[in-house]
Amino acid sequence: MKSAAFDYVKPKALQEALSLLEQGGDDAQLIAGGQTLLATLNMRLSEPTVLIDITDIAELKGISVVGDSLRIGALVTHTEIEDSELVAKHAPLLKAAAPHIAHRAIRNLGTWGGSLAYGDPAAEWPACSLTLRATMIIHGPAGERRISANDFFIDLYTTSLEPDEILVATEIPLASKQEVFYFHELARRHGDYAVAGLAAVAQKQGDVLTHCAFTFFSVGATPVMATKAQDLINGQKLNDELITKAVAEARNEIEAIADITNSAEAKQHLIGVLLERGLKHMIA
Amino acid sequence: MELNGEQLISAPIPEVWKGLNDIDVLAKSIPGCEEISRISPEEIHAKVMFKIGPVRARFAGKLLLSDIIPDQSCSMAFEGSGGAAGFAKGKSRVELKQAEGGTLVSYTTEASIGGKLGQIGGRLISASAKKIADDFFQKFAKELGGETVALESDAGGK
Amino acid sequence: MSLKKKISMTVNGRLVNAEIEPRRHLVDFLREDLHLKGPHLGCEQGACGACTVKVDGQIIRGCLFLAVQADGSVVETVEGLTKNGVLTDLQESFMRHNAMQCGFCSSGMLLAAAELIEKQPKATREQVREWISGNYCRCTGYHSIVDAIIDVLDARAKGQKIKPVLADA
Repeated sequence: MKSAAFDYVKPKALQEALSLLEQGGDDAQLIAGGQTLLATLNMRLSEPTVLIDITDIAELKGISVVGDSLRIGALVTHTEIEDSELVAKHAPLLKAAAPHIAHRAIRNLGTWGGSLAYGDPAAEWPACSLTLRATMIIHGPAGERRISANDFFIDLYTTSLEPDEILVATEIPLASKQEVFYFHELARRHGDYAVAGLAAVAQKQGDVLTHCAFTFFSVGATPVMATKAQDLINGQKLNDELITKAVAEARNEIEAIADITNSAEAKQHLIGVLLERGLKHMIA
Repeated sequence: MELNGEQLISAPIPEVWKGLNDIDVLAKSIPGCEEISRISPEEIHAKVMFKIGPVRARFAGKLLLSDIIPDQSCSMAFEGSGGAAGFAKGKSRVELKQAEGGTLVSYTTEASIGGKLGQIGGRLISASAKKIADDFFQKFAKELGGETVALESDAGGK
Repeated sequence: MSLKKKISMTVNGRLVNAEIEPRRHLVDFLREDLHLKGPHLGCEQGACGACTVKVDGQIIRGCLFLAVQADGSVVETVEGLTKNGVLTDLQESFMRHNAMQCGFCSSGMLLAAAELIEKQPKATREQVREWISGNYCRCTGYHSIVDAIIDVLDARAKGQKIKPVLADA
């Protein structure tokens, strides 16, 4: 199928993009990598009248270390994250997660900011940004505001981003030397959306994990943190008994929603499978 | 797809029943409702802009009510077409019961989605349906001057 | 108001100027306007990989990229990459292994494989399978395609070329 007709503009500056977005209102649509948008346009699942291509805006690009944070611009592609030495050093979880996103040809165009702004509950970056306690940097008509990933993802495909705002970048605290992480997703085919996935980090001291953050994705309307399971693990000697307890707790505290092929029960089960594997991996 | 749930609305049964049968209240409560008209006591037509994530599709549909027992329950059959985007059809049963703090609305829905929307959006249809139902009841309760208290909802593909 | 936009890009080494509707995606532009029939259109929703082309040195899904977005870019298709010899080893190896039947996926498969050889010259069989998981082949069952790519990786590691099929004829 072919897309319906639309106009196309490519502003050079963020301010210009913001005013175009304000003028366009509901009929305007931002495009960055377009890897989700183009499929919906081709299938006529959405028919905006104007696309605002933001890929020329310099402020939205690049990966850099700013103070004690790693700044990732909204336009950074999945491939750039996969190949970045700064990411490998300061946010290794992201490097591990990147190859799971679709396929190389899609990773070459799809962006960090696009994935976060859509807030797809099965996507890798929303889950990772929660786990890594990222801060979203957002620009709108009123200027800049910052919001934690924890407050950003509200509901299915719903973030705190207002229609007249643009996600500019995120900042992620640099990984410490004690940081251990685990990223895995269970999918029927490499590159497919996960049936269930886990993005986890913790600080490791001997056989004790602290500062645990376990975010499950593709199990609910948003990525979800297993906060009770985290509390169980934090600061305790990690042994098989504790792992069993934490697995039960995670299965209990997260209410999974079925998708077209997988029941809620199956997802609930996989939450435990992933957590057990993750904990054993991180403590090893 | 099945969607079952319960909502407690802090308003008495007759008011909730009246609201559910008032197309002006429905127009303000149905997320994305652009047009609504009553063709007969049992038939309602509506145009709805379905907007979720990257998808924005306009559906035209009709709702047929049956087994109507005022202040108690009714059944409805619905079907909607979104042109190239796809179609949705199904049936739903709604029951009202008096409960502490207001009226307990319970619903069971069976629906199927087809076309491009089913093909591409199928992955998140259950989660989407749950969100739409939640949004509806929140707005509906607000229209009645009350609020909702979510009890439980079970969006299942069982 | 005409919605048409002026664009210019380099396609297979040649400068191309055109005026197109923004909704035209890159593969339609290449196939319909430039008559380059190498990139194929399968699903048009980014699932099948038949439309794979290179933009600014990277493989992309040609159906998930608008021709206007390619304004100012360098675009390469299987036609150009065949001519300049980038794909020669892979093409010979695909022939040796019968890594195609109907050929619908082949242009996309070759471009994806070429980027793998460039980016991961030490890829294992498992990594090859993962890499081409974004390209559907409905004929071969993939084994012969993976074999063909592995042979090229091995040959490159040894500094060798794939022996042309015609040399054996």
